[in-house]
Amino acid sequence: MSQWLEQVIGAAQVDDYLAPVRQQALAQLKADGWPARRNESWRFTPLTPIEKREAKTVTQADSLPVPVIDNLNAIDLLFVDGVLVTQLNTLDVPAGMTITSLNNGDNAIQADISRVFGQVKPTRHLFGLVNDTLVQHGIYIGVEAGVSIDVPVRIINLSNNDVDAHTRVVVNVADGARATIIEHGVGDKNSLTTAFAEYHIADDAHLEHYRFAMFTGAAKQIGGSHFKLHNRSTLNSTLVGYGSELSRLDVDIHHAGEFADAKMNAIYLLAEGELFDLHSTIEHAMPNGTTEENARGIVGDKARAVFNGRIHIHRDAQKTLAELNNRNLLLSRRGVINTKPELEIYADDVKCAHGATVAEIDEASLYYLLTRGISRSKALVMLNFGFIRELINDVRNEPIRDWLLPVLSERFSQMEVK
Amino acid sequence: MLSIKNLHASVEEKNIIKGLNLEVKPGEVHAIMGPNGAGKSTLGYVLSGRDGYEVSEGEATLNGKNLLELDVEERAREGLFLAFQYPVEIPGVSNMEFMKESVNAMREQHGKEPLTAAEFLKKAKEACKQVQLPLDFLKRGVNEGFSGGEKKRNEIMQMILLEPSLCILDESDSGLDVDALQVVADGVNSQRDGERSFIVVTHYQRLLDYIKPDFVHILADGKIVKSGDASLALDVEKSGYAFLGKEYAEGEA
Repeated sequence: MSQWLEQVIGAAQVDDYLAPVRQQALAQLKADGWPARRNESWRFTPLTPIEKREAKTVTQADSLPVPVIDNLNAIDLLFVDGVLVTQLNTLDVPAGMTITSLNNGDNAIQADISRVFGQVKPTRHLFGLVNDTLVQHGIYIGVEAGVSIDVPVRIINLSNNDVDAHTRVVVNVADGARATIIEHGVGDKNSLTTAFAEYHIADDAHLEHYRFAMFTGAAKQIGGSHFKLHNRSTLNSTLVGYGSELSRLDVDIHHAGEFADAKMNAIYLLAEGELFDLHSTIEHAMPNGTTEENARGIVGDKARAVFNGRIHIHRDAQKTLAELNNRNLLLSRRGVINTKPELEIYADDVKCAHGATVAEIDEASLYYLLTRGISRSKALVMLNFGFIRELINDVRNEPIRDWLLPVLSERFSQMEVK
Repeated sequence: MLSIKNLHASVEEKNIIKGLNLEVKPGEVHAIMGPNGAGKSTLGYVLSGRDGYEVSEGEATLNGKNLLELDVEERAREGLFLAFQYPVEIPGVSNMEFMKESVNAMREQHGKEPLTAAEFLKKAKEACKQVQLPLDFLKRGVNEGFSGGEKKRNEIMQMILLEPSLCILDESDSGLDVDALQVVADGVNSQRDGERSFIVVTHYQRLLDYIKPDFVHILADGKIVKSGDASLALDVEKSGYAFLGKEYAEGEA
């Protein structure tokens, strides 16, 4: 057993209205223990940076400036070191939307939260269970049936000290409602952030989702975004991930209703000795669902990217259309990419495709740009952008697209292999 | 302008250029013809500095600067432009963005302020019209899905925008119909100003009807074996490379 996990278990408080989920999680943590080295879901992502860590959290933090996205005009909700520092009662929340702390004492709201908390995120995620058990600072966002909210809500996790931070987002987009939610994480301290979000997307609802997992340096980020799609609901999700000493994200998209449609684009960009691990799981439990997932990664220097993309089509999920594509660009001979698409199909009338590739920078393309006087470093940035351009063009929110371009340019210059 | 002396170069340890000499003065147009495998395309790659093309002997200077000491992009900024026989497609990088970076790299070299997006767009539109490409080609990926002829015109458009001092056109006529050939030739001729020089590499005399050379050289087995005026190209058109000996005549057949 790891010292860190022992301390986590010791610190567990399971006495609030979320106790049923918390107790179950605690029991499973005790039963499962620390994953063995060869555990399949951590095979390429050693947990040594956490194993002997001190499980220390804080209960108070000061507000800090957040990364600015020009013209986004979002409602910003800020966690610093796992502490919710935004005064929720000062927010200008649009009609038809509820934003509240998970600690809300209102019985009706507690009931809404309980319907989603721990119900969308699968219990197989070790750190998800830790989050279930320990999380004190969380946010519930509800959108009433038929209400379309144009203002994006951005949840920011900012790590500022060498401590553990456990935060949770619970979202309920009711029938026919629409919302845009952004999860944004930054920090480079020796912190550990477990940030999990669960989205219940009801019949005919639409969620526009972004996750910017931009922790770097010594930061450990382990989190997940988990979606349950009901009849005719739609999800459009864009994920941008950086690597750090240890970065792991799990995305689960569960088609629990018919004719649901999910589109997910993921981009991961790694520099130096960073690690980034993306595990995505698509569950088609009901017929007539569609999923399109495109993940593209660029790996520089001696970084390591891990991609595990699973599509599971249950026996009743006839007429499913599911595509998963993972493409990787390796900028250096020392970089490593472990990619594994997994298909598990039990229905006989489905269309399903998957593929994974790893390539290097095309020498002829680089030479062509150089012969036009463009510097080597700029040419590499252009070719890197070229590799992910389609996914950037897919970003529907214009301020986010405009913000990403210079941010990613900056990232590419850090990834340059010197 | 360009001075090449006793140049020897190899690719994958195979000697391709074997003692080539060439002097190009400002404003001159030199045509290089020759049988397949003579080293015509290699010459362009060696002068531009492509990886894998090793110079073992000799020198090449452009406007007094030793080209062989410079990186690919530095050679370009010194005014060397190579129009490719088979321009590469680069999906995801827009033609416009690519050419803007390129033009601004040249401007920086000459101590000029970079062009703004609007200033560049104006110039690019003019160049686009000049080579008769639809304006939406500026927005497309570099050469992405372009036909052979469109790629060649895109090369000429870049040449017009970059204002190099020496242009090497590597079989810019191959695969072109007569109309496209005319467009390419007009583009080149519009850039002849008495200062800018050209090396036109071609298999066929046809292009030289449109771009009148001052000198014609025959490149065979890695060196220039014969030089003359435009009439030499007509001789080649008529009788092939038989005068080089049996081996070459068959090689070309």
